Amino acid sequence: MKRPVQALLLVLSGLGLLQASLFTDMFLRYVKPGMRPLLIVSGLVLLTLGLAEAWSAYRTARRDEGHPPPHVAWLLFLPALSLLFYAPPALGSYTAAREAPRATQTRDAGDDDFEPLPATSPVPITLGDFTRRVRQDRTRAIEERTVRMTGFVTPADDGDGWYLTRLLLNCCAADAQSLKVRVHGVATPKADTWVTVTGSWHPGGTLGTDSAEVALDAREVKKVQRPSNSYMDALPLD
Amino acid sequence: MQDTEERSPEAPAAVEPGARAWPRHWPLLLGAAVLPGLVLYLVGRWGEAPALQAWRTVALSVTVQAVPFLLLGTALSGAINAFVPASVFTRLLPKRPALAVPVAGAAGVVLPGCECASVPVANSLIGRGVAPAAAFAFLLSAPAVNPIVLTATAIAFPGRPEMVAARLLASLLAAAAMGWLWLWLGKEEWLRPAVRHTGHQPGHSRWAEFRGGFQHDFLHAGGFLVVGALAAATFNVAVPPSVLGTFADSAWLSVLFLAALAILLAVCSEADAFVAASLSGFSPVAQLTFMVVGPMVDVKLIALQTGTFGRTFAVRFSAATTVVAIACSALIGGVLL
Repeated sequence: MKRPVQALLLVLSGLGLLQASLFTDMFLRYVKPGMRPLLIVSGLVLLTLGLAEAWSAYRTARRDEGHPPPHVAWLLFLPALSLLFYAPPALGSYTAAREAPRATQTRDAGDDDFEPLPATSPVPITLGDFTRRVRQDRTRAIEERTVRMTGFVTPADDGDGWYLTRLLLNCCAADAQSLKVRVHGVATPKADTWVTVTGSWHPGGTLGTDSAEVALDAREVKKVQRPSNSYMDALPLD
Repeated sequence: MQDTEERSPEAPAAVEPGARAWPRHWPLLLGAAVLPGLVLYLVGRWGEAPALQAWRTVALSVTVQAVPFLLLGTALSGAINAFVPASVFTRLLPKRPALAVPVAGAAGVVLPGCECASVPVANSLIGRGVAPAAAFAFLLSAPAVNPIVLTATAIAFPGRPEMVAARLLASLLAAAAMGWLWLWLGKEEWLRPAVRHTGHQPGHSRWAEFRGGFQHDFLHAGGFLVVGALAAATFNVAVPPSVLGTFADSAWLSVLFLAALAILLAVCSEADAFVAASLSGFSPVAQLTFMVVGPMVDVKLIALQTGTFGRTFAVRFSAATTVVAIACSALIGGVLL
């Protein structure tokens, strides 16, 4: 790899990272929000390295240095160009459909400390909270209440309703885990559409135990905008 | 449409004989003009398939996540090379390599970050005269025992501090065991000679040396990081989720299976505790194995080590580390969990 190419590669990598983290919030498709400062610093460092290399190659023309990086370094053009021109979307229903829902099992082992649900109707709630209310709340506070949740659509392969879904990250998209609530009573919207669903618990199993079905009888489904940080179990916006 | 195409070769010939005739290889030329477009179109259509999009997202995400840590590691390695005299290490580490190994392993606590940072640092340590056995102990322990990773483990396993303790002990033990194993069986010729880490040369600018080493190491390791990320994304998308539950029932098979999964999935060490916790169908010992093996051996690391130390080394070292790490997790896990 010639020195100007190395400089170009470093500059493109730096610009790609800055494009994803400083100028847009595209990085949220791949990593957690907390990575932003690290990515901005990395982008600046790579940009500086590239410019310094270009400057030094320009000043010391013809005097090539002894150890060029191996050919494998060419592969770094893939992520750099991909970030700049052909960025893949956030993970969606394809990944969620492949995973068994399991993200809630690790949290909130103590199940007796449920606060009373707010009096508003419908109650805005996250998918994780809904799951815990259904599976762990012995007071059965969720019964007969109307709730509202936002997530994206994952078709169910058995054809019985569909899943309202969120994906959660711990570090990067390689470790995404899904939260799913099965929705009954309305036709399946297009996969990966973001929707807000209003409805009530779909009876099945014993509420407050692990046998309870995490499912909803939907009354209303409304399309919403995809949130910029989609890997978060957030409340519905309205 | 077809008519004009068929007739067109003769038509211009009638006007201006010979001069404007179609080029002799016009089907070839036509193919050359149309094919790339067709291929681009097909690849584009195929590239929009959900599986391929997920693959691209995961590969890019592994790379983006690792780049800051790789930069930290390569900057550190460049700085060690250019600014730190070799005498510092000989003074800090015990003279006898057998003692230097556990000390270097424990020193892994100070390098926060994931495993990508530790490979270039270990390489520059060897270049600066540190015994390879001690550098390898550091290489293996640093990603697993630093405070960030241990905190993440404590969060992922709430109310089970013994999991954190077991991870710390098993990782330190495995790192030290690998160091001693290298002292006993290792051969210098397996290592590719470190071309770059010659230290500060009189007459050169230290800053230019730092920049050169930093840039070279980053481009080098970065290329291999992309290889590892592509491999990890392939396994991530290709391993069917139904496989996950298959081996949960058998104690030994589940340990081996989660060790293999840790190698293939290449989850970064700051996050692997959450993944391990989510594999709740498996025994605690198997979960511990996942967390001990993952930061020491995975496809991303094997690619990075191949690039840095050479293939001969990477193959032997990774195989031995896998066995040692599984043995240590089984031992510590059997006692503590």
